[in-house]
Amino acid sequence: MLRHTLIFLEYELRNSLRNPAWALFGILQPLTYLLLFAPLVANTTAGGGMADTLLAFTPGIMVMIALFGSLLVGFTMIAEMRDGYLERLAVSPARRPAIVLGRTLRDVLVLVVQALLVAAMAVVLGMRPSLPGLAVMLLLMAATGLLASGLSYGMALALRDEASMSAITQFFALPLILLTGIMLPISLAPDWMRAVATVNPLYHSVEAGRALFAGDFGAPAIPVAFAFTLILGLLTLAWSVSSIRKTAF
Amino acid sequence: MIIEAHGLRKTFTARRGGEPIEAVKGVDLRVAAGQIFAVLGPNGAGKTTTIRMLATLVPPTEGVAKVAGHDVARDPARVRENIGYVGQGGGVDENAPARAGLVLAARLGGMSRRHARIRAEELIAAFDLADFADRPVRTLSGGQKRRVALAVGLVNRPPLFFLDEPTTGLDPQNRAHLWDEVRSLRARGTTILLTTHYLEEADALCDRLVIIDHGRVVAEGSPAELKKEVAGDVVTLRLAGAAEPARALLSGLPYVREVRTEGETLRAYLGGERDLPHLLRALEAGGLAIDAISLDRATLDDVFLRHTGRSLRDAG
Repeated sequence: MLRHTLIFLEYELRNSLRNPAWALFGILQPLTYLLLFAPLVANTTAGGGMADTLLAFTPGIMVMIALFGSLLVGFTMIAEMRDGYLERLAVSPARRPAIVLGRTLRDVLVLVVQALLVAAMAVVLGMRPSLPGLAVMLLLMAATGLLASGLSYGMALALRDEASMSAITQFFALPLILLTGIMLPISLAPDWMRAVATVNPLYHSVEAGRALFAGDFGAPAIPVAFAFTLILGLLTLAWSVSSIRKTAF
Repeated sequence: MIIEAHGLRKTFTARRGGEPIEAVKGVDLRVAAGQIFAVLGPNGAGKTTTIRMLATLVPPTEGVAKVAGHDVARDPARVRENIGYVGQGGGVDENAPARAGLVLAARLGGMSRRHARIRAEELIAAFDLADFADRPVRTLSGGQKRRVALAVGLVNRPPLFFLDEPTTGLDPQNRAHLWDEVRSLRARGTTILLTTHYLEEADALCDRLVIIDHGRVVAEGSPAELKKEVAGDVVTLRLAGAAEPARALLSGLPYVREVRTEGETLRAYLGGERDLPHLLRALEAGGLAIDAISLDRATLDDVFLRHTGRSLRDAG
């Protein structure tokens, strides 16, 4: 199983390297936010300079890549189902969990690299994060990638259709983004909205990222974000693995 | 027997209520190793479902099947080690070049990186893929894609190879190439089970076949045996305004097995191969003038017609 997972990982990474444009597209929108939105926020926040604003804003942008990138990986799988590619893999000697695991690992790696690029961009713009904090944040991004791509493959295998898949991801993307406090701080929100935000794993990831960038390793948001994201990530991974097992008996 | 199936049935239950669909209603198959075996039938007859059950893609609702010595329901993993499968779509990753797909299949089959590369080279040479082996598969033509799909399916030298409608959508030249490739596989000892709705394909290519209609096997044998059962020679006649009396006359002749009418045209199935002169004399003696006549050997379409009451060309 491990061997097959690594074989698929290598194969998929080569595919990604052959078409790096897609991974770049994935961070284009978050980067645009970073360039156009962060200065706006900086001017509306009293006393906050660009560096401080970026420190609070960049973790949110990283989480956005997961939403606009990793959550969409399932679309490729729907095309693979239609071409009969997945079906052929299912009756080959390939271990079926490895088909999903190899892809998920690839997505996690791609997401971490994308997050690193976003961080580098923010540093260019003037952000000075805690370096150990940044490293831990990248680990949290890996866990977020697990969650997003597990969810995406699970949906793809369950829905098997681009139209319903895009309807559902569109439907969830906006509230998930708003309830992370990336755009506007959740502290401005009414009580009920703050209560809803606490069940959004992405909210905790953003909070944890802000603490980590500020070098505040004692923040309770950090263990909460890791626990929340990892548990959900493993659950969605289990879902996608059990779904791929059903493509053949 | 490399495939032995008894009473295979598949009923699909519709998701939201709806009538269950009986795609396959009890199919028996015995395929000897080393043969090209065809499953012939019109679209919707249950060919694809049958081959998918044998290739461990869908579990049979009822019945048992042993493929390469292993039970498909109980031991699908062992079955998969012994088969290659190329579905209707081809099933090749469209975004990767053929070479990468070949190496992937070889690595998954247990080969080392080095052996996998060597095996990929061998297949690129054997299937003449060199010109486009490093281009993404989505940029290839239909015939090229089909060759890549075949090569990928054969990487691990499976003793049994499943081909679902292998030539659908191919032009005559590519079809002939594919037939040659299937024959050369047989020459190397591979057993091939293919489905087709082309009569010529089953006739030209296979050693034995079953004809499936409405989820059931209606005939089985070698193409020659099946055709011989129907007739030696087939005479097609056009008689202006005299079809009905001619039919009555011909039906009464001892060496005419069967007569079918299609408008003004009659098709008489003769038992032997030397009865045409007798038939012509009988028509002359009956005072019936022939407008047009042709003599053919029986085809698999005649076999299909005999067993199902309709022509495969009409059945689609």
